[in-house]
Amino acid sequence: MKEEILRGLTDSVVSGDVEKCVQYAKRALEAGIDAYEAIMEGCARGMSLVSEKYEKGEMYVPEILCSAEAMYAAMDVLKPHLKTERVGTPRKVVLGVVRGDIHDIGKNLVKLMMEAAGFQVIDLGRDVPNERFVEAVLKEGADICGMSALMTTSMIFMPEIIRELKQKAPATITMVGGGPLSQELAKAYGADGYAKDAAAAIRVAKELLSRRGGM
Amino acid sequence: MSADRMKPGERLVAVLMGQKPDRVPVSPFILGYAAKIVGLPIGDLYTDPKKSFRAQLLCAEMHGYDSSPMYGYAAVGAWEFGGKVGFPYEPGQSAPYVIKEPVESEEDVDRLEVPDPKNAGSVPIAMEIARQCYASGLPAVFQSGEVLTYAGNIMGPTRLLTWMIRKPELVHKVCKKVEEFLIACAEYFTSTFGADRCIAFAGGPIESNKLISPKQFEEFVYPYMLRIHRKILDMGVQIILEHPCADQNKNMPWYRKLREECGWRGKYVWNFGPETPLETQIAQFGEHDVIMGNVDPPSFQFRSFEEVLLLCKENIERGIKNPSGYILGPGCEMPPLAPPINVYAMIKASREYGRYG
Ligand code: B12
Repeated sequence: MKEEILRGLTDSVVSGDVEKCVQYAKRALEAGIDAYEAIMEGCARGMSLVSEKYEKGEMYVPEILCSAEAMYAAMDVLKPHLKTERVGTPRKVVLGVVRGDIHDIGKNLVKLMMEAAGFQVIDLGRDVPNERFVEAVLKEGADICGMSALMTTSMIFMPEIIRELKQKAPATITMVGGGPLSQELAKAYGADGYAKDAAAAIRVAKELLSRRGGM
Repeated sequence: MSADRMKPGERLVAVLMGQKPDRVPVSPFILGYAAKIVGLPIGDLYTDPKKSFRAQLLCAEMHGYDSSPMYGYAAVGAWEFGGKVGFPYEPGQSAPYVIKEPVESEEDVDRLEVPDPKNAGSVPIAMEIARQCYASGLPAVFQSGEVLTYAGNIMGPTRLLTWMIRKPELVHKVCKKVEEFLIACAEYFTSTFGADRCIAFAGGPIESNKLISPKQFEEFVYPYMLRIHRKILDMGVQIILEHPCADQNKNMPWYRKLREECGWRGKYVWNFGPETPLETQIAQFGEHDVIMGNVDPPSFQFRSFEEVLLLCKENIERGIKNPSGYILGPGCEMPPLAPPINVYAMIKASREYGRYG
């Protein structure tokens, strides 16, 4: 029964079926399934399947956006029932597209996956000036600062932001991503982490947090 | 290195006429870079037709490449249909961007009016640049697609992509209006300059398989593209520069079908992204069309002169095999911050490795 409900949640996230997703979320609560477990083992698992399918070319962005709608609808049902002692305080991520760059589809997918994985994301949007990253990290006490760039003209701002952060908020983990980035470039920029897609972003974020001793 | 026999521009014309030029022509897809070269803010290139034309002309003269001035940008459509765009005057910005989309709700779709090209958004600027080109004996270029990129800028890409599944009929309504607009634009330019003096320029990133499937391309792009291309060819336009931006490998059958269904009329110049091997393009279009390819754009900004020269050499060696002609170019816009020596690398590569006969 529990397995069936969780699988139902996962499947309806993958197929982007909002109604079904909400139904399964309600059934999960009725069956006494822990809301946190329903989110993690149902919704989040669905989103990571979606992300895998995108990487394999089996799903495209329109389908992912529909999956996201379904996931958020289920989360709306489940979230009020989260027991705080079970979850702890969520890890905070400040996320934005760097200055001069308006490509935000990738950043939005990263946000989505992070929220599905239980992170709290502070989305700064696109074409974000360097200072705003630093300000937001300080104000929010963020655990992670994620920067996205799709253009070679914009990614050059990343090392500047990272340098500022290393001075003003040295405990914050810095992560970069987007088309023109790579592991080597991320390293040269002084970033703590790089990920080539949204699913990897979660893995890397969790790994860096556990190394820092925070998760 | 022997001297060039032809003047810049002449070799482009030769290739388009199906003849062999002295060496491979170079078309470096330069927009924002030209502003940098002459010391203007990039914004001026997109807002001031006189400065834009002059900057592009001087940049071409300084480097000695073959392509001539034009106007266009990827965020096109929003302004023309009543929204707002911003221009790249701030540090880091490199091209116009959408500030306000004309479609923000379902009701907006029905309210959306097809604008008159004569005073729609950026069209008057494009027209002014085209006039200056025409007056100098150069081709008048007008933007003619792609429809889905326009639609994405009109309603915002996230709304567009979600509605493609949730409310496809609304997406089709917007695409239909874009189609109407693009045909009106083509009529405006061809009636002003004569179709034989015009080049249609189409392409866009939202069609890319980074975002949509080939099935979605079939439903939301192909029918519109086919009708527009047919109309433009009927008007008598001979040259269409088609730029399937970024990875569009899976859409290739549709581009091929487009040519077949249009009876291979006119001469197409294909400028695919670096993701599409030249050999694939030659196999699809080599019998009729020119291939303009497709060196990795970021490499011009980040790699050394020697590396860029080598990339160009490799591209020439593969592209020159196209029986219907080849032009050396990047696979998308030249990064505005590319060091000038790397643009020169294209000219040098053409001179050293791109001689015919
Ligand atoms: C869609 C698109 C557009 C749309 C953007 C719509 C939007 N709101 O985002 C529009 C039409 C507006 C557009 C405009 C332009 N574009 Co454009 N565009 C693209 C395209 C085709 C796809 C980008 C995309 O959405 N991909 C899908 C997402 C899901 O993938 P992603 O972004 O890579 O994100 C994933 C990962 O990278 C990672 N990730 C992303 N961010 C982060 C952050 C962190 C922290 C982590 C860990 C991971 C991570 O996870 C994501 C999910 O898996 C790319 C081509 C390409 N190869 O990427 C060109 C591309 C980015 N564009 C390009 C250009 C040149 C432009 C223009 C300048 C063109 C022009 N002259 O007008 C303008 C710029 C406008 C501006 N002022 O900034 C170039 C940039 C080249 C360069 N020199 O850097 C590209 C690469 C095309 C090319 N082949 O040359 N574009």
